[in-house]
Amino acid sequence: MTDAGTRPAGAPAIDGATAEVVRSYLLSAAEEMRATLIRTSFNPVIYEVHDFGMSMYDADLRLIAEATGMAFFLGANDYSLRKGVEYVGRENLHRGDVVLLNYPYWNAAHAYDATLFAPVFRPDPNDPEADGELVAFLCIRAHWMDLGAKDPGYVLDSTDVHQEGLLFPGTKVVSRGEPVHEIHELIKFNSRMPGEVLGDLHAQIAALRTGERRFLEILDKFGKPTVDAAIEWIIADGEARVRSALAELPKGSWTAEDWLDDDGITDDPIRMKCTVTVTDDEFTVDFTGSSPAVPGPVNMPFGATEAICKVVFKALTSADQPTNEGSVAPLRVIAEPGTLFHAVYPQPTFTLWTGIVAVELITKALAQGMPDRLPASSGGDVPGFMMVGTHPDTGQLFAVSNNEVIGWGGAPDHDGSTALSHVSGSTGRVTPVEVLEARTGMFFERWEIRTDSGGAGRFRGGCGTRRDIRFVTPGEFLTVIKKTKSRPWALAGGREPEPNQVVVFPGTDREHRVSTTRTRVEPGDRITVLTAGGGGHGDPRLRDPAAVREDVAEGYVSARAAREIYGVAIEDTDAADG
Amino acid sequence: MSDKRFRLAVDIGGTFVDAMALDTRTNQIRFRKASTTPQRPAEGVMAAVAALEVDLSDAELFIHGTTLGLNAVLERRGATTGIITNEGFRDIFLIGRGNVPPEHMYNFQYQRPPSLVRRRHTAGVRGRLDYRGRVVEELDLDSVLAAAGRLVEEGVESIAICFLHSFVDPTHEQRAAAAIREKYPQVSVSVSTDIVREHREYERTSTAVLDAYIRPIFERYVDDLEQGLAERGFAGQFLIMRSGGGAMTAATARTSPTHTVLSGPAGGIVGAAYLAEALGREDMLTFDIGGTSLDTCVIERGGAVAAFEAQLEQYPLLIPTYDIRTIGAGGGSIAWLDRGLLKVGPRSAGAQPGPVCYGRGGTEPTVTDAAVVLGFFDPDRFLEGEMSLRVEEARAALAQQIAEPLGLPLADAAAGVFDVLLARTVGAVRQITVERGRDPRDFSLLAFGGAGPMLAPLLAREMEIREVVVPFAPSGFSAWGMLSADIVDDVSRTVLRPLEGTDPAELEQVFVEVEAEAMRSLADQGVPAARAVLERQLELRYVGQEHSLIVTVGRQWDPEGVRAAFEELHRSRYGHAMDNPLQILNLRVRGIGRTDRPELPRLPAGDGNPARAVLGQREAYDFAQRAVVPFTVYDRAKLAPGDRFAGPALVDEGTSTTVVPSGQRVEVDEHGYLVVTLEGSEK
Repeated sequence: MTDAGTRPAGAPAIDGATAEVVRSYLLSAAEEMRATLIRTSFNPVIYEVHDFGMSMYDADLRLIAEATGMAFFLGANDYSLRKGVEYVGRENLHRGDVVLLNYPYWNAAHAYDATLFAPVFRPDPNDPEADGELVAFLCIRAHWMDLGAKDPGYVLDSTDVHQEGLLFPGTKVVSRGEPVHEIHELIKFNSRMPGEVLGDLHAQIAALRTGERRFLEILDKFGKPTVDAAIEWIIADGEARVRSALAELPKGSWTAEDWLDDDGITDDPIRMKCTVTVTDDEFTVDFTGSSPAVPGPVNMPFGATEAICKVVFKALTSADQPTNEGSVAPLRVIAEPGTLFHAVYPQPTFTLWTGIVAVELITKALAQGMPDRLPASSGGDVPGFMMVGTHPDTGQLFAVSNNEVIGWGGAPDHDGSTALSHVSGSTGRVTPVEVLEARTGMFFERWEIRTDSGGAGRFRGGCGTRRDIRFVTPGEFLTVIKKTKSRPWALAGGREPEPNQVVVFPGTDREHRVSTTRTRVEPGDRITVLTAGGGGHGDPRLRDPAAVREDVAEGYVSARAAREIYGVAIEDTDAADG
Repeated sequence: MSDKRFRLAVDIGGTFVDAMALDTRTNQIRFRKASTTPQRPAEGVMAAVAALEVDLSDAELFIHGTTLGLNAVLERRGATTGIITNEGFRDIFLIGRGNVPPEHMYNFQYQRPPSLVRRRHTAGVRGRLDYRGRVVEELDLDSVLAAAGRLVEEGVESIAICFLHSFVDPTHEQRAAAAIREKYPQVSVSVSTDIVREHREYERTSTAVLDAYIRPIFERYVDDLEQGLAERGFAGQFLIMRSGGGAMTAATARTSPTHTVLSGPAGGIVGAAYLAEALGREDMLTFDIGGTSLDTCVIERGGAVAAFEAQLEQYPLLIPTYDIRTIGAGGGSIAWLDRGLLKVGPRSAGAQPGPVCYGRGGTEPTVTDAAVVLGFFDPDRFLEGEMSLRVEEARAALAQQIAEPLGLPLADAAAGVFDVLLARTVGAVRQITVERGRDPRDFSLLAFGGAGPMLAPLLAREMEIREVVVPFAPSGFSAWGMLSADIVDDVSRTVLRPLEGTDPAELEQVFVEVEAEAMRSLADQGVPAARAVLERQLELRYVGQEHSLIVTVGRQWDPEGVRAAFEELHRSRYGHAMDNPLQILNLRVRGIGRTDRPELPRLPAGDGNPARAVLGQREAYDFAQRAVVPFTVYDRAKLAPGDRFAGPALVDEGTSTTVVPSGQRVEVDEHGYLVVTLEGSEK
């Protein structure tokens, strides 16, 4: 069952024990690649935020296994690898090659997400000098710190791709096992942080080598026919699971619209539209009707659009299963070239924030057809902020960011959770008050759950938070939020929640609201960041009055809202609204 | 240390209470089990003690590992707990860090588990420090007492106090606690900085809340045990195991119950670290398999790898623990088919109903049932003959539920259960070693827990690990390990200063203060100054990064030496080092009161012929040949140092069986431990 050769020759299929054992070995090879990358990478975005995606493919470019990384990178490698292999040409790939690709329109992400892939060849013992048999591909994308884009750090206002960094369409950085010196030098001379970037390049190569070694060991251990049979099993099993989940879903076609605040160049809201069609054997997401591509960098490469669709599809059909080729087989994504969801050369794509809002756009369309299966909107967006300034103790420049929590949407059978990271990056963590105060010029006067911010409903949305900031040093306060001008959506008769709002200089004659922008601040200035609640699910009048009373006692809902929205009379007490 | 004869260790597991007595005169150990009594845990402990049949008045030490605090949290049986914090920040505990556990990454309907504290039981009071500990607003004791009064009125029994930046200056916390204790003496009060003086308000609050939550029932439990032991004449030292190594006196444990919550696997690791040193093995991997889980931990250069932040359910705990990887699969784990794929665990048959072969009503086949089918246990000698195994029932369950649907012969299906479990284990062991930049083949595997010796040689074979060490009474190893525990306390301070550019004399001053605190704690626990040892550590990181590494420093230290040590560690963990400035995150001192460790017995060598120990032959499954073949069965009690024999062999010792496939060899070392090596890899 495990050693090659002990199974009778010609045994047609493998059993479910062997398939599971091989599956475990493949998954653990992917996890070991992950551990290697985390262990050897240079930039904290990789080893602390886990801003990477890594996957293993068979020789036909079918996804076998993925290691845990960023939700948004789910399946993004699938698109890049196909484009990369197509560009380089299969016949030009040799044993020991590693190829770099970051051209956004092929890369399924912006230019700073560097995708490296490697073909895996199994040497022929009779001809060890030859490449041998092409048996697999390995692929790792990771966020690099700098590739020479127009501004250091992050780009919020590029107007074409050439302001977004050095581009590689599918370029060997290692050829037949030998590093390509010229390319490494080219990267070094085009980056503001060459040490980190080359360090990460080497870390990715090391992780690919780990995966290559393990994959070949697995072939030797179990024999290629057994591994091939297990891979067929894994992919067929993945597909069977999602098809049976798909069969359970209501069939139909539903359309939703939503708005992005702006593109970073003008203040005009940007229309997003999608139609989701569920049939017996297909799940189609069609972005026709969305805005044409805009001048600012919020356009999505098509591969990135596919990746967010995979996230929603997975959440719906196989949230707790490992992902493989089969588990996205029924998914089809349509977006016209030259539109918001399918950027073409030279349209700018750097911020990718559109994807966050679009995750909820797809859910919004679906929810119309299956309100009894889906939650309402979870805050609509990730409210991010950052302060840049000079630290009073050290005189050093600081730039520290934080992504705020929001309320999750009310679900068909439970309330949305209060104060969690957005569904698009739910494993992210808020930065502690003690860390933000020590490292920046911000002092917090309050950070609390926002009463009544969750949308009312039979199952209400979770609450967002309120943060009152007083600045103790001068600097710049950056906010990155693309959905503040409209409320997150409710479902099945629930109420819309309070939206994300950033109120600058509240209570002064300079008071105003902002979304994605830089604000100059001086000591004594105040800014309040209010984060959205989740949408309500179902008619609030149908909510269990005991639950309403409990909400009031806990301060999630005010006595007044209980009375006016839920129709539950409650004596107002001090403790309730604190 | 004393003229009393016995040292006792009692370890509570999910199923059994293990009790071990060491006779310090003869160096003999006695090992007994009793059933765990979840409703009244002290009863099971006393029953196990009684089973040892030792005169308690002649015992110098009673050391105890308990999961009481852990269970109180898991079962939500703790005190009604409230939180007092700064005005405007009452929700710090409820918000947490806002993150969803990774396994729920794609779950758009994730629900936070119900909180340990209700929002109405949280209160903010006036008073505020800034990040340097400067008073922005003076503490308002009236508002503290008003808040406490409201909580008490609401039925709160235990209050956790945590203020922002209190790790820099705990005065506000101390004053608030004193005022509350004076006015409401019936209420239990836990202060964040009494437990840990480290930064990050949510993590510190969570630590204080868990402390507050379990403290009242922990105190009652310790009282019950003290009384029970005293009634039986015990007048020795009563120690309780800590999660991060070592032990503390029962009196200290009453006020620091948080340090006990993750101490379940600690006994085994303390014992393993001691063995690694005593046996001259620098690097060991522990491999502890009980009924429901498999725990593995790295012991490097003789020391177990520690972590300074742990997690209990979703709650962070700022206490030192061991860095243990757990797989939810052990002897009781159920084998099942998921759309035709064979899976093992995470569901377990536990003690009730237990595996099918126990005949207690279990109907789903488990790993233990597969082991029975594979012929690894002698049905008549299982658990020293106290339980006869229902072999036929185990075979039938495995045949019907696994083998037939898979279309496999019964033996192959049972072997498949092991293969699936091993494949996952290989992954976990690779993970924990690769993360540290190490090759698993450089380690010795120490097998314990009831099922450890059954699986460890198979794992060694899969991973080419050169040797497996099987101690005596592997299922009681955790209790034995406790007997080697020192009295330990850990004291830390968050520093957040640059390494280079901070006056070393200033840091030395902090070290001196922290050391004094550690020495006081040891003295309070009865450690004579002559037996006290202090270890200094600095937790450092590159400025701007989150992850940190621990560098041990001597009494004489300088920044250059610390940087060099940090860089070496960083290279081994992360493959590179940088020129970036370093920041000191925390300064740590471990105070250790050395206890007398049990001596490893040295047994007289035998005649070199293991035939004396042969019980006979048994048909069992050989994973090397993937076939059922005759195994030679040895009685471990009759093996002697110097004995050598080759697999296929089974070494039976009543409470566990070591399974040696062909291609592996056993040597009995001078202590009577089994050392299983791969053929061709001997020195």
